[in-house]
Amino acid sequence: MPHKTFLFFIWPSLLAMILFIALPIGSVAYQSLFIEHEKILIEAKNCGPFGCTSQVSVDAEAMARLRAEQPAGRFNGLGTYTNPTHLATDEIADIVATSKNFGEIRSRIMNLPFYKALIFTLAYTFIVTPLVIILGFIIAVVVNSVPKLLKGPVIFFSLLPMLVTPLVGSLVLFWMIDSRGIIGAMLQSLFNDPTLSLKASPTLTWLTLFTYGVWHSAPFAFVVFYAGLQTVPKDTLESAMVDGASRWERVRFVTIPYLAPLATFIALMQLMDNFRVFEPIIGFSAAASATSLSYLIYNDLRAAESPLFGSAAATSMLTIIGVIILLLPVLRRNWREFNRKT
Amino acid sequence: MARLQLKNVNKRWGSFVGVDNFDLDIADQEFLVLLGPSGCGKSTTMRMIAGLEDVTDGEIWLGDRMVNDLEPKDRDISMVFQSYGLYPNLSVYENIRFPLRVRKVPKEKHHEMVMKAVEMVELADFMDRRPAELSGGQRQRVALGRAIVRKPTVFLMDEPLSNLDAKLRVSTRAQIKNLQSKLKTTTVYVTHDQIEAMTLADRVVVMNRGRIQQVGTPTEIYDWPANTFVASFIGSPAMNLVEGRLDGGTFTGDGIRVEGLPTATSGKVTLGFRAEDAEIVPEGGEIAAPMYSIELLGEASMITWRLGGALVSVKTAKDFRAEIGDTVRARIPARICHLFDTATGQRIDTK
Amino acid sequence: MSDLANRKPLPLALLSAVFVLCWLVIAAFPFLWTMWGSFKVEGDFFSRADWMNAITGPVTERQYGSPFTLAGYEGAWVQQEFWRAVVNTAIVTVFVVLISLTLGTLGGYALARSGFRYTFWLLMAALVFRAMPHVTLVSGYLLPFFQLNVWGYLPTTIIVLVAINQPFTLWMLHSFFLSIPKDLDEAAMVDGCTRFQAFRLAIIPVMWPGVVTTGLFSFLLAYNDFTVTSMLLSQENATMIPKINSFLGSTQEEGKVMYAVAAVVSAIVPLFVLILFFQRQIVSGLTAGAVKG
Repeated sequence: MPHKTFLFFIWPSLLAMILFIALPIGSVAYQSLFIEHEKILIEAKNCGPFGCTSQVSVDAEAMARLRAEQPAGRFNGLGTYTNPTHLATDEIADIVATSKNFGEIRSRIMNLPFYKALIFTLAYTFIVTPLVIILGFIIAVVVNSVPKLLKGPVIFFSLLPMLVTPLVGSLVLFWMIDSRGIIGAMLQSLFNDPTLSLKASPTLTWLTLFTYGVWHSAPFAFVVFYAGLQTVPKDTLESAMVDGASRWERVRFVTIPYLAPLATFIALMQLMDNFRVFEPIIGFSAAASATSLSYLIYNDLRAAESPLFGSAAATSMLTIIGVIILLLPVLRRNWREFNRKT
Repeated sequence: MARLQLKNVNKRWGSFVGVDNFDLDIADQEFLVLLGPSGCGKSTTMRMIAGLEDVTDGEIWLGDRMVNDLEPKDRDISMVFQSYGLYPNLSVYENIRFPLRVRKVPKEKHHEMVMKAVEMVELADFMDRRPAELSGGQRQRVALGRAIVRKPTVFLMDEPLSNLDAKLRVSTRAQIKNLQSKLKTTTVYVTHDQIEAMTLADRVVVMNRGRIQQVGTPTEIYDWPANTFVASFIGSPAMNLVEGRLDGGTFTGDGIRVEGLPTATSGKVTLGFRAEDAEIVPEGGEIAAPMYSIELLGEASMITWRLGGALVSVKTAKDFRAEIGDTVRARIPARICHLFDTATGQRIDTK
Repeated sequence: MSDLANRKPLPLALLSAVFVLCWLVIAAFPFLWTMWGSFKVEGDFFSRADWMNAITGPVTERQYGSPFTLAGYEGAWVQQEFWRAVVNTAIVTVFVVLISLTLGTLGGYALARSGFRYTFWLLMAALVFRAMPHVTLVSGYLLPFFQLNVWGYLPTTIIVLVAINQPFTLWMLHSFFLSIPKDLDEAAMVDGCTRFQAFRLAIIPVMWPGVVTTGLFSFLLAYNDFTVTSMLLSQENATMIPKINSFLGSTQEEGKVMYAVAAVVSAIVPLFVLILFFQRQIVSGLTAGAVKG
């Protein structure tokens, strides 16, 4: 199709993406170089009969004027990136210099908000993704072997955890694991420990979030694998049977290799989605023990008095860099394939 | 009047050459077949005529209009696609009416025109069905009906029979031939099946790797292949081709020796002859070699030797019997032989 | 295939049956539990005494004279004006789906039919855009939107959601269009259509399954969104999910948490119905991308 026709068809979509995805990324990059204005203070002298007292207050009028002139704040260069709430370069240097052993370095770095969030995000991404693929595959294989009558309802109920809003899904689980909820109460009686609470310790919170992640995403892997199983070439399976392969060997040597490309696809989708984990942290009120990069940005933008645009933007930029690093292998593979094709 | 001219037409994608300098003048009412293996550029040529593919270089003239820059809809052509391109959501009747609708033919004429086309392709009983409810042959006829419903200047047919089974192909072939002679519309027909080409065409264009190999009537192409490619592509079985040396009118190859060839050339040549022109003989003969296989075809038997890497076949009576490995002899008279330059593949004139 | 080859040893059959049952419970039970519990009072749903209370509802019975009560729903829908959020959600989802599909079919068609190199780059860019965490984009919008004075309104949110949705919509529709033979639009063009007519008259009529499936996913994205709606909408324009979140902050007092439970169930029910009717399309949509990948 000629360039002109192509453009005729694609411009609305392209415009939307440029305006609301590409430009905002630029806007984030720009904002990340600025920081909130310093407060303009004025000193007002109150002279009364008992002498003069001076009172310092924020000059709201001057602040408003300043904000109107420079909405992004004042220029800060890369200062926001290196400050303690982001990359914390000075603090890291200090920690490395003064800590006695590796364990101490680790625990002190974990106290820096950015690194805490980064580590949780990475842990969530790289623990949940493989678990989702494995669990999804097992469910698919098993469901594929149950009587037809059961398959419909199983698929119906399996879709629920995935399609329900993450915030709502996590709330539903959150209420159940409450110490007064069914799962919380059961765990308490199971371990015979009336003070046991999944919300109390950071480790248990992490585990809870991972469990939620797997519960939420396993259905996706299941459905994709299940659909893939329907297309496994029967001839190959039958020839494997004739060749004397056992049930397990058929799965191992025919089904798994055949479904491997699907696993790559699921992994890609899951990496993208898990890297932006955010809603469950709110749903589980877990911010005290687990924060993610997305949550940090959200939190900055929700800051009590006024949004910390600069800080949020810097975290956003770092997150975007993370996404690109995550996608590099995929992009490289696509690029190679594309070159082979043309 | 619709004469179709292609003047030095080229199609390139980057450095890849799809069609190389295609130059041809197609007369009004002619049935022209583009024949070649897949990827030879025949479909691309047709799609350039249709306007579905841009022309990189050269000109296409339809009647007295240069159509290079016209959109398909403005070229006044109609086309039958390999997979028919029927509109699955429309009935047979509506499918055939579609070109009239979008070309703004006055509504009151539609019914008459559609009915005429429906009669010609014998679909009167299926008018209300959807394409999905039709057999392959019926779908094919819907596509034909849609192409003939208005009077286009040129018909283009892109392998229209390739999705049909063998039996249906023969009957539809006859129907297409008959339709074209009734409608007298210039037709370009693309196929990779040489039998289709031979039976349908007024003229055949044999193509390979984007180039025209030979243009001629089916008889010319069969009797005087211009090069080894055409020789090996036309005929069933294809022409036997044996490599060897030519010296003073005598051809010598592995297990074959033909004397008295009317040519002064010498050097490395390829000798060609058709299986049905030669005969098996008990004594003497130009071929004497152990038999490689014998196949019963029904009306005849096919004897094959392996001569210097090439398989060479000769047709003989159906009651001929020999064991694989026995020496079998065949007579190859010089008058049935064609000579080609081994290096270039071009025909060496033997007049 | 013969039954002989597929017959399973009994233990294996039992094991798979138990496994499937377990999975069913894990997947479905939380929702059923919450739905049941939403008709109770807090004292039953979060019972210190015995979790069985959430099923039988003795406290509810004491308070309202019946083991079921609509108190939570009344509180959420009437007192807390959850119905406003429902209306807002309806407006947002309807427009997001309509606009997304319009832009997406046009763009997806162009990407599927153009053979030029830039289609590859556009698709790759879309993939990268698809991976962007939405909150990073939101942090890009917020300041300009305040400046332009468009923050807080439904149309702004609709446009933003459409744009965020585009990469996914494009990919999905692109692969659906690829599965429609090129012959169809080419036949239409030879028959006398312009490119756009061919798209409208020949392609769209056979694209409905793909459009419906993609529409479902656009709907889910808009319906489920929390990040964009919570940051870009003012209080009075809030949609369901941010509204539920705002309940959490203000429901520390006894009884109010049941408002959130009722609202959560209200938000789940439409999805329940959706899956019931469109299970096949959802499954085909989830796998559409995989076929290509």
